[in-house]
Amino acid sequence: MKRDVGETRRRRHTGTPRHPIKVGRAGYAVRYAGRYGVLGLAVVVTLAPVYWMITMSLKSEVDQFAVPPRWFGFSPTLAHYYDAFFARSFGGYLLTSVIAAGLSTGCAIVVGTLAAYGLTRLTMPAKLGRRLSVWILSTRMFPPIVTAVPLFLMVQGIGLLDSVASLVIVYTAFNLPFVVWMMRGFFQEVPREMEEAAMVDGDSRLGALWRVVLPLVTPGLAATAVFCLIISWNEFLMALVLTQTDAAMTLPVGIAGRVTQYEIKWGVMSAAGVVAMVPILAFAMSVQRYLVRGLSMGAVKG
Amino acid sequence: MNADSDKPGSEMRLAQPSRARAAIRRERGLPYLLVAPAVAVLLALSIYPLVYLVKVAFQTGSGDAVRWTFANFERLASDGFFLTALWHTLVYAATALTFEFLLGLGLALLLDRSIRGRAVFRAILLIPMMLPSVVVGVVWRLMLNPTSGAINGTLQGAGMNTDRLTWTASTALALPSVIAVDVWQWTPFMFLVLLAGLQAIPQEPYEAALIDGSSAWQTFRHVTLPLLRPAILIALLLRTMDLFRVFDQIFILTQGGPGNATETVSLYVYRTAFRFSDFGYAAAMSFVLLAMTNVVSLIYIRLLQRQEPA
Repeated sequence: MKRDVGETRRRRHTGTPRHPIKVGRAGYAVRYAGRYGVLGLAVVVTLAPVYWMITMSLKSEVDQFAVPPRWFGFSPTLAHYYDAFFARSFGGYLLTSVIAAGLSTGCAIVVGTLAAYGLTRLTMPAKLGRRLSVWILSTRMFPPIVTAVPLFLMVQGIGLLDSVASLVIVYTAFNLPFVVWMMRGFFQEVPREMEEAAMVDGDSRLGALWRVVLPLVTPGLAATAVFCLIISWNEFLMALVLTQTDAAMTLPVGIAGRVTQYEIKWGVMSAAGVVAMVPILAFAMSVQRYLVRGLSMGAVKG
Repeated sequence: MNADSDKPGSEMRLAQPSRARAAIRRERGLPYLLVAPAVAVLLALSIYPLVYLVKVAFQTGSGDAVRWTFANFERLASDGFFLTALWHTLVYAATALTFEFLLGLGLALLLDRSIRGRAVFRAILLIPMMLPSVVVGVVWRLMLNPTSGAINGTLQGAGMNTDRLTWTASTALALPSVIAVDVWQWTPFMFLVLLAGLQAIPQEPYEAALIDGSSAWQTFRHVTLPLLRPAILIALLLRTMDLFRVFDQIFILTQGGPGNATETVSLYVYRTAFRFSDFGYAAAMSFVLLAMTNVVSLIYIRLLQRQEPA
């Protein structure tokens, strides 16, 4: 899997058929149409539910429950957005989500990047460095529900239950192994000579990290931060367990709390869902290049 | 430091290696200092909770009357709800994994060639897995509602009788429905990792197969699959671990119901701990889930390591 990028690219661009298929021109056309047919179907299945939620957030209640359902052609209204974020408490949930995701990402990035640098670059007994890295990764493998019970009891014990602070702390720990592994990969790609040269010029080690290495890994650092934001923003279980009142609920918990009630305001729910979804999609598109690496914690370099 | 300083710097390194070496010697303690905060955070928030979990799971009583016991685990073995939840988790994981893998591999193979609009298709197909799982739950609750949902509504519009298609509201269809939602959300992950794996395979083996005149199936079976094995194993490993812990979408879609038709281990742990405040019992269940996850990941890691020397 560790292949030279240039070589892989070259193959992509030649577009040589991978299989020795002997088919006539008509056969080719059928295959071509079939391929696009399957892809088109996949796109429709992928997008239809998301599109439906967006329309639900914009429809008046008459249109929402029309039979047959109105996929197109309804008169859009922003009333549900106003209802959710001004008349109800979703504005507060949104703010909590932003704070929890932002602060925990900041903490995890600072602590994790320093650790990753220490693990890749500095003279540590080689085995210890590897073992530490693997240990750090393994902490990420616990199912969250497993740590939910003890963390709840711990947070309750120190009196931080139902606070944004508890979420920031827990998400920082949650994202930390991820940051360490991603940044470890990016640091390994920077040639050692770069910072050694700077150090010969009189920079300290940390000065070289700050002025020479970090600028080189900025895209990776940004991508890692975006992943942390996505993970914290989407997180549900811990937020559900650790928060109880409107003051500390994040957007997913706020949405979930409304869904499980008997009378569901579908317009409000959809509006909140759209608002929870849009920033994530924008972020995700911005880190597409690093998506494979990020989702496999650096195990696969795409 | 200005940008062009590294060139003279590297020359100087040749001239004065001792200075750099001295600098490196001076920083012996630095790596530990850099790693320490991360280790401290993880010890406090990942390792200590595990120790705490063991304590809660194996201890009863409080104060001076504390004693170690297997009572919680004995209770688990004869708890029909737990065994059902365990079974649901396994069925859920196995079914979803199979469909996600096959669909993901199919899509990856379709897009692993020069096809017009590949980048656009890739970007669109990845959307579901980026969505917050709570939003996915809401989206599909909207779609699957038997009376006012878009799916049944559209089918009725096409003249179909949907009386029996009650999806998440019926005991029989609830589990398949939540599995289908998982497949919708997470097939993109398989697709993405497998596509990356496919694109890392060099061209030469394919050319050799072409010259040997092997059929498309033979090429796939003897060239693509073996070379794709590491990517397949990693994709399956990460997905399996996520499937074992599934919680969010089911919580939104059915809350484990109707009855306990869609209750998985994670949901049962949640209910036991945070509805019934039976933390010891919930901890024992978490312990079983943790053990399951570890065993499965060890198996995958063994398989991965077996691959490496070749």
